[in-house]
Amino acid sequence: MTNLYQQLSQDIRFIEGMKACLNCGTCTAICPAAEFYDYQPRKIVDTLQSKDEAAIEALLKSDTIWYCGECMSCMTRCPRGNAPGMLIIALRSLSQELGYFVESEKGRQQLAVKRTVGEWILKYGYCLYPSQISPENHPEQGPIWEWEHKNIEGVMNRLGANYEKTGPGILRKIPQEALDEIRAIFEVTGGMDRYDKIEEFSRMKAAEMGLDLKEGMDNDYIRHIYTTNSPKHSRDHED
Amino acid sequence: MNKPVVIIGGGIAGMEAAACISAKGREVILLEKTGQLGGHLLQWDRLFPTRRKSSEVLRHLEKGMNDGISVHLEAEISGIENNNGVFIVKLSDGREFEGSALLLSTGYSVFDARKKEEYGYGIYDNVITSAELEEFFRNNRQENLLKGIKSKRIGIVHCVGSRDEKVGNLYCSKVCCITGVKQAIEIKELLPESEIYCFYMDLRMFDRHFEEMYYEAQQKWGIHFIRGRMSEAAENADHTLVVKVEDTLTGLPLKMTVDILILLVGFIPSPETARLAGMLGIDSGEDGFLIVEDEHFASNSTSIPGVFISGAVKGPVCIEHTITDARAAALQVLSYLDSEIAKWRNSETVK
Amino acid sequence: MKIEGKQMIWKEYQKEIASDNFFYVRSCVRQNFFPGSEKTFLRIMRDELQKDVFENASHTTCSGIGYHSDIVPIETTMTMIARQFALMTEAGKENFTTSCITSFGLYNEVLETWHHFPDVEERVRQNLLKATGRSFNKPKNISHASDVIFHFRKEIADRGKFTLTDHRTGKPLRVVEHIGCHYSKMFPSKGVGGAEYPYVLAGMIEDWGGEVIDYPERRHCCGFGFRQYLVKANRGYSIACSKKKFESMESYSPDMILTNCPGCPMFLDRWQYAISEMEGKTYGGNGQGIPVLTYEELAGLVLGYNPWDLGLQVHQVPVEPLLDKMGVPYDPGMKFKGANGEDLGMPEAPSYLNFYPETA
Repeated sequence: MTNLYQQLSQDIRFIEGMKACLNCGTCTAICPAAEFYDYQPRKIVDTLQSKDEAAIEALLKSDTIWYCGECMSCMTRCPRGNAPGMLIIALRSLSQELGYFVESEKGRQQLAVKRTVGEWILKYGYCLYPSQISPENHPEQGPIWEWEHKNIEGVMNRLGANYEKTGPGILRKIPQEALDEIRAIFEVTGGMDRYDKIEEFSRMKAAEMGLDLKEGMDNDYIRHIYTTNSPKHSRDHED
Repeated sequence: MNKPVVIIGGGIAGMEAAACISAKGREVILLEKTGQLGGHLLQWDRLFPTRRKSSEVLRHLEKGMNDGISVHLEAEISGIENNNGVFIVKLSDGREFEGSALLLSTGYSVFDARKKEEYGYGIYDNVITSAELEEFFRNNRQENLLKGIKSKRIGIVHCVGSRDEKVGNLYCSKVCCITGVKQAIEIKELLPESEIYCFYMDLRMFDRHFEEMYYEAQQKWGIHFIRGRMSEAAENADHTLVVKVEDTLTGLPLKMTVDILILLVGFIPSPETARLAGMLGIDSGEDGFLIVEDEHFASNSTSIPGVFISGAVKGPVCIEHTITDARAAALQVLSYLDSEIAKWRNSETVK
Repeated sequence: MKIEGKQMIWKEYQKEIASDNFFYVRSCVRQNFFPGSEKTFLRIMRDELQKDVFENASHTTCSGIGYHSDIVPIETTMTMIARQFALMTEAGKENFTTSCITSFGLYNEVLETWHHFPDVEERVRQNLLKATGRSFNKPKNISHASDVIFHFRKEIADRGKFTLTDHRTGKPLRVVEHIGCHYSKMFPSKGVGGAEYPYVLAGMIEDWGGEVIDYPERRHCCGFGFRQYLVKANRGYSIACSKKKFESMESYSPDMILTNCPGCPMFLDRWQYAISEMEGKTYGGNGQGIPVLTYEELAGLVLGYNPWDLGLQVHQVPVEPLLDKMGVPYDPGMKFKGANGEDLGMPEAPSYLNFYPETA
């Protein structure tokens, strides 16, 4: 089995994002995640650069690689042309391929993302869909969303959408042929494989943790990963 | 072989080489595009590492300007011809000078800090460059600069325009680190109650007395050194600047307000040097500075016989080494002329 | 602050923006949360400016949100993007314009990758052919819809009925501009004005009579963070980023925030609400929050469109104070009505943000 560093270096994001790091800290200085989390993109790049297998494995299993918000502010500034944000994408990808993501609290959340955004892409052809964005799971969307959600057809109509109808327009019903093509793309390019892996590894982890996991969002494991947030993630946490 | 040596560029290297060549009895023509000899030396107040006045070095260089050196100021060069080892330098006012050897010592330019957009130079009032600070010291205007600032916190940013792929300069400009340490001490001397922070990636204390100066900066003057490259500066409503940097030694990103930010700007290859090198057929390296015949033992020769180079045309260099390099170049020029004379004499006797 | 310094930078980063014959792809976030914005973009382009903006009903998400929350592998995303290009090719178009900023960043990123790694492009072509039978040409020009509105900002100003001034005092409105991270942080040369001082929104604000406000956290991400918002447990990161911006801009008394990314206005709008509920703190004058607008909404206001056609009623931070300042008339009674005036009920009032401001 090829080692982790070798596997990472096959990822196009890794090839584009990893040049040579001199630990200047410019990326960490501007990183929003570094402001709030116990996180330094500089350290991630430094670890990768060391090619230390044990350290990379630990990284793939850690919460650390899941803090980044992929804003790419680091890439704008790096004097060596590195892109820590892209390396994060490569790490997250490998972590899911190998099943390491379930070893961390933040990593386990991927199942929730897959079962929401992931499935909406295939089912609706959009990453987000109004009927699926429940006010209960999104209290921060406020009473305005609650109202919009309750009156979605009326609001969509008022604003000139083509909601769930054929033809072009806002939130149109995307033709079944198009959805079939999307699914075929996912099959051919490894997208379905990725979804299946996320499911399979999560299933094993749920069993290990003794949490009920069945389809959909209404089960213990999903509720657990969707809401659990340990205080130890923040920068100024007390041990 | 009896024609003068033409030196293009009347800065430190040009002046010192002219003096050495002239002292050996050779006629020298020294062409300078501005109205004054001295080059960038004229911009600096005090020089590292001893903080002696730059005017003392200038005086030394001026003493070398004897009658054997014909100095032409405001000389704008429109073309150079190489006629089988006889060089014809044409000025835009129509004058021409012929030489048996040519020395190109047209120096460097200072990095334009506006290119480092996120540092706010040219946009925020209180961001200045190290070069501008020297000007303030020279003209005794530091009172203007420093008056009215509140907390008297000053930031010094290393590697501005150097070691930076984003602005296209991968090289280190060598002398900025020690300049930063020097200026930190100078400011602290003026404002003892100020807190001064140097934001650096590495501290290049490469020459004699440099490391000791760094030690003194910490121990005697309490200058703070934070190992982190500044990511951006933004302006507050009161014109102070908020700086984002990571202290990489403790692994903590930090935000700090400073009253003034001083950018240690580096060397860039000068467009004028590139223009003249192009006329002569001298190549530049990937870093934009001129290529020498051999880095170790022929570092004043080029691929063109009779054409020599000295000083910052080859890359970042401090004043002491520029003077040494100019003397070496002078020796190379004189040896070349002697061997050419020998060749010419030999061919005469053969005839 | 010396504006000339910024103007020099803006001159350095000019990019070519197509002016007609567009292939338009929509934004997942905008369609859900700001449908009026996309409607307005097409109304301005087609009805006001008589431009050809073509939409193929078969186009889908580019999968950007899925890609950046790391559930969709890059090969899949690249092939989804290739399909969008195939639809563009089929329509005989070369000018690609996107409604979403993440998409814009992604399309540029993918083209850049294919440029440096032609074997990757070849593989994607094979994938697309195998999955869908489609082939594609790459676009000649990719612009974000905000680039296009920027391109036509003077035409919009000429046709404008309102300006970004307080009509009671004649003073320009103070506008904070917020640029989506994926617009130019990855490829500064692909953004008007570059990454540090983008001009795409500043240009609109200036030409429409407003004053651009600079403040220290101008470039800070709004905090979407993809998975940092999608998963409830992570939302602290998201709200903290927005809060950082609000705290920084507060002392500059902005009249409004203008954004070009679809996600940013949602977060900058909703997090003001959430902060007020959690801490009782509101930004802006009179406890009303700082209204957050998309560039389409603002262009629509300048052109004199009905605010409720633009979709301003689905903002949580009330926009009425801004409308009052600009002198834009509106019928409060029609705010929450349906297309035929039918009653759709009303949202509940938030605890702190004024929701039904007294009429001026």
